[in-house]
Amino acid sequence: MSFVSYAMILAGGLGSRLCILSEKRAKPAVPFGGKYRIIDFALSNCVNSGIFDVGILTQYRPLSLRDHIGIGRAWDLDRRRGGAELLQPFQGWAETDWYRGTADAIHQNWIRVEDREAEHLLVLSGDHVYRMDYRPMIEAHLARGADATVAIAEVPREEARGFGVVDLDREGSIRGFLEKPEVPPSGNISMGVYVFRTSALHAVLREDAERDTAHDFGRNILPAMVGSGRVLGFRHEGYWQDIGTLDSYYRANMDLLRPEPPFPLEDARWPIFTPSTEFPPARIGARAEVRASIVTHGTIVNGTVERSILFPGAVVEEGATVRDSIVMGESWVGPQAELRQTILDKRVHVGPRVRVGFGEDLTPNRSCPEHLSSGITIVGKETRIPEGTTIGRNCRISANLIEEDFSGDTIPSGGVMERELNVAH
Amino acid sequence: MTAIPEVLVLVLAGGKSDALRALGRIRTASALPYGGKYRVIDFTLSNCVHSGLTRIGILTQYAPLSLHGHIGIGRAWDLDRRDGGVRLLQPYVRQRETNWYRGTADALLQNRNVIEDAAARHILVLSGDLVYKMDYAELIRSHEEHGAALSLVTVPPPSEEPERYGFVHADRSGRVSALEEKPKRSGAGAVSAAIYVFRARDLMERLRRPDGGPDLVKDVIQPMIEDGARVFAHPHRGYWRDIGTVDSYYESNMDLVRPVPPLNLYDPDWLIYTPSEDRSPAVLGPNAAVSQCLISHGSRVEGSVTRSILFPGVHVGAGAVVEDSIVMHDTRVMPGARLRRAIVDKRVVIGSGATIGDGDPTPGHGSAGAPTSGLCVIGKGSVVPAGATIGTNTLIEIGVSERDFPGQAIAAGSVIRPGVSARMAPVVRAAPGGTT
Repeated sequence: MSFVSYAMILAGGLGSRLCILSEKRAKPAVPFGGKYRIIDFALSNCVNSGIFDVGILTQYRPLSLRDHIGIGRAWDLDRRRGGAELLQPFQGWAETDWYRGTADAIHQNWIRVEDREAEHLLVLSGDHVYRMDYRPMIEAHLARGADATVAIAEVPREEARGFGVVDLDREGSIRGFLEKPEVPPSGNISMGVYVFRTSALHAVLREDAERDTAHDFGRNILPAMVGSGRVLGFRHEGYWQDIGTLDSYYRANMDLLRPEPPFPLEDARWPIFTPSTEFPPARIGARAEVRASIVTHGTIVNGTVERSILFPGAVVEEGATVRDSIVMGESWVGPQAELRQTILDKRVHVGPRVRVGFGEDLTPNRSCPEHLSSGITIVGKETRIPEGTTIGRNCRISANLIEEDFSGDTIPSGGVMERELNVAH
Repeated sequence: MTAIPEVLVLVLAGGKSDALRALGRIRTASALPYGGKYRVIDFTLSNCVHSGLTRIGILTQYAPLSLHGHIGIGRAWDLDRRDGGVRLLQPYVRQRETNWYRGTADALLQNRNVIEDAAARHILVLSGDLVYKMDYAELIRSHEEHGAALSLVTVPPPSEEPERYGFVHADRSGRVSALEEKPKRSGAGAVSAAIYVFRARDLMERLRRPDGGPDLVKDVIQPMIEDGARVFAHPHRGYWRDIGTVDSYYESNMDLVRPVPPLNLYDPDWLIYTPSEDRSPAVLGPNAAVSQCLISHGSRVEGSVTRSILFPGVHVGAGAVVEDSIVMHDTRVMPGARLRRAIVDKRVVIGSGATIGDGDPTPGHGSAGAPTSGLCVIGKGSVVPAGATIGTNTLIEIGVSERDFPGQAIAAGSVIRPGVSARMAPVVRAAPGGTT
């Protein structure tokens, strides 16, 4: 039996619709669900499916991802043969350059595929939240002798607009792709999970490399393969969430807090692995009230927390209230502060009596109204909000601000707070 | 040149502690789960690596599997090293004179090759069953400055059970004149913290004496003092607890949920390391009421939990009430159950509506072997039937099934043992890959 033992994960994307969460890190490195990074799902799916040889293609801001993955220990990917390898663009060979797209990234690293003499290759995306055993898909791919097999999720038809929609025939073969169609013909979308026959993929990649395209799997490679070979669809049942926008990111996190979560993080048969922190257990104080929330090691709660997710080392001081919010690692919410529908990145310092997500005014964000209009306010990494400040809804507060950067004590809904770059010396 | 001369650390972690009852039978005290995610030995090992000591042998003998599984190759402490690192030293068969370790001194003597091969100037002898944070570098520095043959750490006498400790008599300079075991009177002074640093050649010379006995205190340390060797006391001022009894184990855990805990686990400069488990974050449900607790990953709380410690994977059902209790890994407290002043070992099921610790939570004397200080202890893997009422001071042994309960109401001070069916089956039902 032919066997698929090598996976490549596309993890280089810019993810600009995630706003300042992906300003300093690649999208797959964005923290999720209390202790995870988004790429943990694809990596854990690999090892749980018995695939222990994984190349991770990085380009945009890879440092956070590289620190997270390290030598792959958390996934048992620190191995003599195979393991986890980060594939960053490099110089020195005639054809190497920055990756021009997802397909170009794999094309430039084709030597990795050749070295393995693999007949088939698994290609994944690093920015989706899902559990999937890749083995049944691989078996279907092999059994039907396909050149490419594409995992398909079904979403409500109106939501399919943001994805690559798949046109399936009755036998499950793919007749065509529609990338982000205005009027989707169905809710069958490509999950960005592919199995390829390496020879067929290589032929298309070589051709694509010579042409002026986006060098993108969804837009260029798969449509080309539909013309020349046999492309199958494989339906994935179960939860699958693309973390493409701030709203979808927020919603996927909040889904975890439902009484019967559609995607339970706890599943002994299919654990999600991630490097652990060395913090002690969560400490819940005498006056704390914590409900419908996720807490992690190192969190300390002395205030009120409802429908929220606290990452490792997050601290909520006495009298503070955190509702419908995501508080990332080592952020501090001072006494009497109030957070509502707020995402705090790591190590944010919220001074005493600060209010974030305040009021009912839902004016969309001034600088990115298309991504920040549902009421969420977001605060970037390590910013320090001075005592008593009030920040409205749909606000975007940049990373690394200090108290002196805040000129007034109120930022109205839709506001943007950035450091003045043209400061006179 | 480094501030610390070369030191070999030997950790004594092989003892059986009967006073820990059902908690201590399946594991040595050093391997006891502690503080929500730790084992007791994590404190000793973390102290070592924070003190820059990375050449460590752990002497094990009694029920060591739990400890071995926990330590592995020492990765959690960065002790998987090319040079030094951690080694587990279990008794082994030799061509001549094969023996179990007959005592602490004998355990060291049987490992004389390890001591000699290390060629260390000093041997730091530690106990794996103590909870404390300490920089051994200071101890070793003062040991060197005194030119001591032995330096022993002292702590103020604990108020509870002072008879468990050895009183140290020292002059102003710290020179020790006597170590008095089980003194008749208690009170002022200092007791030995069971933390010793020996000059290696002095230790070996003592251990090798043909008339030497097996016990480190009685047969090595006390004779050294009596013979006038340079023995110095080194006072430790921070938190220090010996958790060798059910009561001391319980109190030390409860110290962690006090409003201002006397032992700070959150100090970023002195974190306590332990192997992590791949568990999802803790979930507190919409009706959860949690206060003064430590909650670990994999826990799920739908009921009320107060002044308690939940280890990984504990589920507390809707309407259940847990107070002043320690609940270990993967135990299920079913809906409506009540737990008060209980220590519940791993993988126990407390049936719906059952009550543990019913009645007056004061000391009392019941059957032989039952707790006497108002606590209930439930051994690993036991099942308490739905609706049962268990009085205070009750011991439910390891692997007790529902059929082993004589009735729904168990009087205070009882001991429930596993029946015939359980004794024929393996007593400890471990999950694949799990440790005790």
